[in-house]
Amino acid sequence: MKKALLSILIVLLISLPFIVKSQYFLSLMITLFIYVVLAESWNLLGGYTGQVSLGHGAFFGVGSLVTRLLWINKVPLLLSLPLGGLSASLLAAIVGIPCFRMRLAYFPIGTLALSMIALLTVKNIFTVAGALSTERLASYEIFSRYYLALFIVIVTIIVIYYLMRSRPGLAIVAIRDNEKAAAAIGIKTLIYKTLALLISTFLAGLAGGIYAYQHVSYYYDAPFDLNWSFTPTLTTFIGGISTIAGPIIGSVCFLALSEIFAVTLGEVHVLIFGFCFVLIVLFLPGGLLSFKTGNQVKKIREEREVKSGFL
Amino acid sequence: MLQTLTYGILNGLLYSIIALGISLVFGVMSYLNIAHGSLIILGSYGSLYLFYFGLDPFISIPILMVSLFLVGIILFKLLYSRFVSLVEGLKIQKSLLVSFGLMLVIEHGATMIWTSDEKSISPFYSGMSFEVFSGFRVPLIGLAGGFLAIIVIIALHLFFSRTYFGKSVIAVSQDPEAASLMGVNVKRAFLISFGLSVCLGAIPSVLIGLQAFSPSVGIEWFNKGIIVVMLGGLGNIYGVFPAGLFLGIVEAISVFFFGAPYREITGLVIFVLVLIVFPNGLFGSIPE
Amino acid sequence: MLKVEHLDAHYEDLQVIWDLSLEVSQGELVALIGSNGSGKSTLLRVITGLLPPTQGRLTYKGTLLNNLTPHEIVNLGISMVPENRRVFPKMTVLANLEMGAFPNKAREDKHKSLNKVYEVFPLLRERAQQFAGSLSGGEQQMLAVGRALMSKNEFFLLDEMSLGLGPIIVQNIFEVVIQINKEGISILLVEQNVPVTLRIADRAYILESGRIVKHDKAKKLLNDPYVKGAYLGTSIG
Repeated sequence: MKKALLSILIVLLISLPFIVKSQYFLSLMITLFIYVVLAESWNLLGGYTGQVSLGHGAFFGVGSLVTRLLWINKVPLLLSLPLGGLSASLLAAIVGIPCFRMRLAYFPIGTLALSMIALLTVKNIFTVAGALSTERLASYEIFSRYYLALFIVIVTIIVIYYLMRSRPGLAIVAIRDNEKAAAAIGIKTLIYKTLALLISTFLAGLAGGIYAYQHVSYYYDAPFDLNWSFTPTLTTFIGGISTIAGPIIGSVCFLALSEIFAVTLGEVHVLIFGFCFVLIVLFLPGGLLSFKTGNQVKKIREEREVKSGFL
Repeated sequence: MLQTLTYGILNGLLYSIIALGISLVFGVMSYLNIAHGSLIILGSYGSLYLFYFGLDPFISIPILMVSLFLVGIILFKLLYSRFVSLVEGLKIQKSLLVSFGLMLVIEHGATMIWTSDEKSISPFYSGMSFEVFSGFRVPLIGLAGGFLAIIVIIALHLFFSRTYFGKSVIAVSQDPEAASLMGVNVKRAFLISFGLSVCLGAIPSVLIGLQAFSPSVGIEWFNKGIIVVMLGGLGNIYGVFPAGLFLGIVEAISVFFFGAPYREITGLVIFVLVLIVFPNGLFGSIPE
Repeated sequence: MLKVEHLDAHYEDLQVIWDLSLEVSQGELVALIGSNGSGKSTLLRVITGLLPPTQGRLTYKGTLLNNLTPHEIVNLGISMVPENRRVFPKMTVLANLEMGAFPNKAREDKHKSLNKVYEVFPLLRERAQQFAGSLSGGEQQMLAVGRALMSKNEFFLLDEMSLGLGPIIVQNIFEVVIQINKEGISILLVEQNVPVTLRIADRAYILESGRIVKHDKAKKLLNDPYVKGAYLGTSIG
């Protein structure tokens, strides 16, 4: 049943550009794919590994920046894109690994700070927006971009799906649930956390690369905007962390709301999502999906970790 | 150079007061309130309104303190009190997430109401400064802010060392169960500490209001605050003052040598470097 | 004064106390003896309100304790010297003692109480400005007892005071326990150190795996063959 639905969906997505000719709509779909890849990448680190990153925008931005700069300088896209992803991972390796070694609260705060540093730095260095050369402009078409984005989304989901079912995936989840216990049974926690970090940021960098490829006029600091850090967190939590479908559902809802309100109330979709986010964190930690799949297991685990009975 | 240092010190004191609010909540109940900066900016908007009604921002501080205190209490009861009994690791994570959501709600709500335009309160004494000697001027607002900061430091110290309630808060921060065995109403201590922390934001509200503010600026101020908290040592309330001054002075010196655009970056870089060398902050945990 | 009736208690879904009933009358020194894991500390946590009971009634001087918070129970008149002392490590000895007098009725007599505590434990006066975390185990125990004395409460729960302490200090502490009992404070003493405990208590309950297995006058239990075999051979002192 599930497989049938999935196949239908994929066929639909593949044939979409032939059904709907609207450039705007296809561009929107590309943006959706970017959101999904970013959210899934965030989920790998935040949901499956338990390391909440509040600064994924930095990795998104780095991937975007590198891809754009390379591509503008005639490096073929098939090279610039992965290189963008790798640069993001490199950044993560330098900054993120020391973060893992430090105390509890540091990773979210550290990534947030990183995101801000990145934004400020890029803002100060790249003050002029970038544009495409005339030939590039002439040859711009949405088709290839759409399929590239779709391809990367599918690859991302496949990668995460199989990763989480492999032995490293089990180790990762074990670390999330109880790091001390995992270490006690011999799991090298640092290695697996780093693995998750590198893969996650690579994917985020890829998403950034798509963004760079998609946009004609390019503001170098735009992909570093803090919203790129906040949105994946929001959408994944609301959709359902530690699930594959969660980030997808969250991203779809988010984008849909933003389109609905774009003309009328501007930013209200973030407001709504923020509000729902708080509700979800407080009352339904498994996200919307937990209604179906019974992610109540997470909640029970949390209740077991009550320290004091009297508060 | 002296001028630069003075700016650095005055800025540093502002950072310290912001950090103080964050540190208080973290030290007492292991909560990380990312929305602290946004709440401060809410206060700035409040101060702006009071200014339109003719109330001088400095005079509005007591009103803001009371309002923010109430806001803090309401927020605590609504949101933060629900996970007060969890293990420390989970408490930090949940409070982080909840306050993250809250921050977004405040930021975007504020944008909808007041737009993202930068606002600023400009009373008559806005640009004035006090000339100590030739070439060395101290801005009036900065000076007043500095005084307020020092008063707050002293008041808090007296509160924690002389009043029973203050001592009970310290006891709760060290061992909530033992504190309750002494007859301390721990839940109420948490509630009031949280309210107090938001209330302390009234002073930065006004000082920032007199500079420039917009809805998105809240998270940037939180970032400054948390850097100072971590430099001073997580959980060490008294450490925020030297740490704040340190950051302020470092930034000021970097402006002097490298120019304004690099102020933030230098500060942040120094922060990362310091943490690598001193993972527990410059001052670790000093007994209170 | 203190009455526990048919208490059941759970600790994280695991039942640790079954149908426990005990009572302590005014002025008595009652001991609760049991080995590790028997549920002694859990019982005390329930009495002080740190753990909610699953079933049963607890009353103090007729007032129901079941749903009260720890601070309310302290204000009713029950003080506990907790397992592992739980002094506030980054506060001075003096500050710790002052915290002991936190309940409103105790605050007025703070200075008198302080002097009394210093009489009983002169060492604390010497160390008044020292941080409690830097004290030795025995000194911390004295501080913990002193803290309880500051509350001016009439009922004390003493949880495993001899744990980790050398014999001389244990002797010292128990002498103090006898003394404060003589001055009118009712005590429920939870201990692993059986011989000393049975010698100073009026009555004793023996707790095994969450159930009371024996209950009698302390002197009688000292000569009881079961107690002798199970408990008197196993502890030093």
